[in-house]
Amino acid sequence: MTALAPNPAEEDLATFLPADASPSARLFFDQFRKAGLPNRRVESWHYSDLRARLRAVPPLARAPDEAARAVARQKLAAGAFLRVVTVDGFYAPELSDDFSAVAGVEIIRAGEADFAGETADALLDLNAALARGGFVLDIAAGARVETVIEIVALAGAETDRSRFGRNLIRLGAGAHAKIVETRDEGFAGFGDSALFIALGEDAQLDYACRCRETASVEVQSLNVTLAARANLRSVALLAQTPFLRRQYFVSLAGEGAELQLAGAAILGRTDHADVTLAVRHDAPACTSRETFKYVLGDHANGVFQGKIVVPPHAQKTDGKMMCRGLLLSDEAALSAKPELEIFADDVACGHGAAVTKLDAQQLFYLETRGVPHIEAEKILIDAFAADVFEMLDSEALRDVLRADLSELLGEEKPA
Amino acid sequence: MLEIENLHVRVAGKKILDGLNLTVEDGQVAAIMGPNGSGKSTLSYVVAGRADYEVEQGSIKLDGADILEMSPAERAARGLFLVFQYPLEIPGVATMTFLKAALNAQRKARGEAELPTLEFMKQVRAAAAKLNISQDMLKRPVNVGFSGGEKKRMEVLQMALLEPRFAILDEMDSGLDIDALKTCAEGVNALRGEGRSLLVITHYQRLLNFIPPDVVHVMSRGKIVRSGGPDLALALEATGYADYTEGAAA
Repeated sequence: MTALAPNPAEEDLATFLPADASPSARLFFDQFRKAGLPNRRVESWHYSDLRARLRAVPPLARAPDEAARAVARQKLAAGAFLRVVTVDGFYAPELSDDFSAVAGVEIIRAGEADFAGETADALLDLNAALARGGFVLDIAAGARVETVIEIVALAGAETDRSRFGRNLIRLGAGAHAKIVETRDEGFAGFGDSALFIALGEDAQLDYACRCRETASVEVQSLNVTLAARANLRSVALLAQTPFLRRQYFVSLAGEGAELQLAGAAILGRTDHADVTLAVRHDAPACTSRETFKYVLGDHANGVFQGKIVVPPHAQKTDGKMMCRGLLLSDEAALSAKPELEIFADDVACGHGAAVTKLDAQQLFYLETRGVPHIEAEKILIDAFAADVFEMLDSEALRDVLRADLSELLGEEKPA
Repeated sequence: MLEIENLHVRVAGKKILDGLNLTVEDGQVAAIMGPNGSGKSTLSYVVAGRADYEVEQGSIKLDGADILEMSPAERAARGLFLVFQYPLEIPGVATMTFLKAALNAQRKARGEAELPTLEFMKQVRAAAAKLNISQDMLKRPVNVGFSGGEKKRMEVLQMALLEPRFAILDEMDSGLDIDALKTCAEGVNALRGEGRSLLVITHYQRLLNFIPPDVVHVMSRGKIVRSGGPDLALALEATGYADYTEGAAA
């Protein structure tokens, strides 16, 4: 194997590790350095060659000062939900709402010890090494939080930055919550964020992510652990992302846990969005459903990689994975790769992938009723993508995503 | 109201309409009868504006305006409506959303204000009740899981809401049992009158028992070959189309 040519971005990243970095941060950084930026020869990164794409990185984002908070505050529109705000990846209590009146909810600044130690990915290593100042959102055991909590990720710096957010959402046994994450850091920087979600036994979380990141290169890692009978419903709306990798590392760790993962990507221009799943059924009798949809116009490129691992002891596993693409132009492309690694014998696992164009007959039918062609297209695109929102239990979260989608289709049709 | 002159149309390279002439007067109900393959459905699609049909020659005028260069939506806004032989299913699009989009798009094109939601709901409910369309059907996605009869009733509902100047009913009786046919025909007959014309396309005379035409045209091999009064339909029922199809029964 020939040695890879040096990548200047890796050298830039090396300067980000502070002199007073902890031994654990150094360890993670060494792991990253050893592996380097993943390239197409790394199988799980085959369709998103980060090493080729990321040739330089902007300066490291610093903890926000008053000026940075002022910049972020301007972008913080009045919202209906209680908010936890991060600025350049750092928890900003000054901009966040007061949760003291919400029983069972506590938000604290995160420390290294809050996060699970092992990682299986170079960008997650990099995040572990460089991230500082995230938050832990704790929902106490048994708490039923009715109000929607919104996590808002904003920028404070007014130029491109490298950002490393690292946050944890933890639900105690039997807790229920509804969380929407709005990622809108802006600028053409580099992002390598990680969100950890840990659900205790019987906990239930509805989680929606609205991803509007314009970063030239954006990597988002979700690390999810579900205890017995916990239930996570997660939907992400990804839109107009120049180069996004959203990777999910999920462990169904307790018997009878249920996972529903879904997403819709609305892409145009030369946008690239890669959703990569690694779902492990680490306990028996767990259920997982994965449904991801891509609307691809212009020269957009969608990637879906779905790995489901069922070890020998995970009997009675029930898994179904689906990926669908709607191609609006001849130059758009979708690569879909399901991988099922099943070592148990009493399981029901299935997967499917399909790519279609807008149906000319359906369009004609709508047009004969007076709906102009471009509106008819929007109606069909909306129906195709909005379908995945239905798996959320919370009407409020579904409404947020529906509104975002119509806004997206109204403003700019991805064609 | 509708004037078609010397219309020549190819579909996938094959000549389907071959110099068709047809005039439908204001307020008239005209029937077109003809054997399979005579070009009846092609005619309805061409008038509605299907893009993949190649018009080689001729003109189609609605109220004096040539509509051939117009998009299907522009034609609809001018009052054209097609009852599909096989209405399309559109998964994921709620029927009410669809009806509202259609109604408001047409109002917008005519420079009218959007209908307030409450007034819209009222109109839909009233029209639906007359056609035995349940609230449950209105809650489902457009035509998804509907029976043949339900789909046709939904077509007539749309027609009642959109109040077209000129409606083409393409084989409205196909897939309908006699009760559903009666319900649909009643819905259509309620819309007959001054300022609205209908073109009823069918193989069989049966439909015309329920929607009695003012004139009957016989179509064969891409053109109108004979026109007459309602008794022409009865004569066809007795003799069949053999007289009009070259080579048939020879």
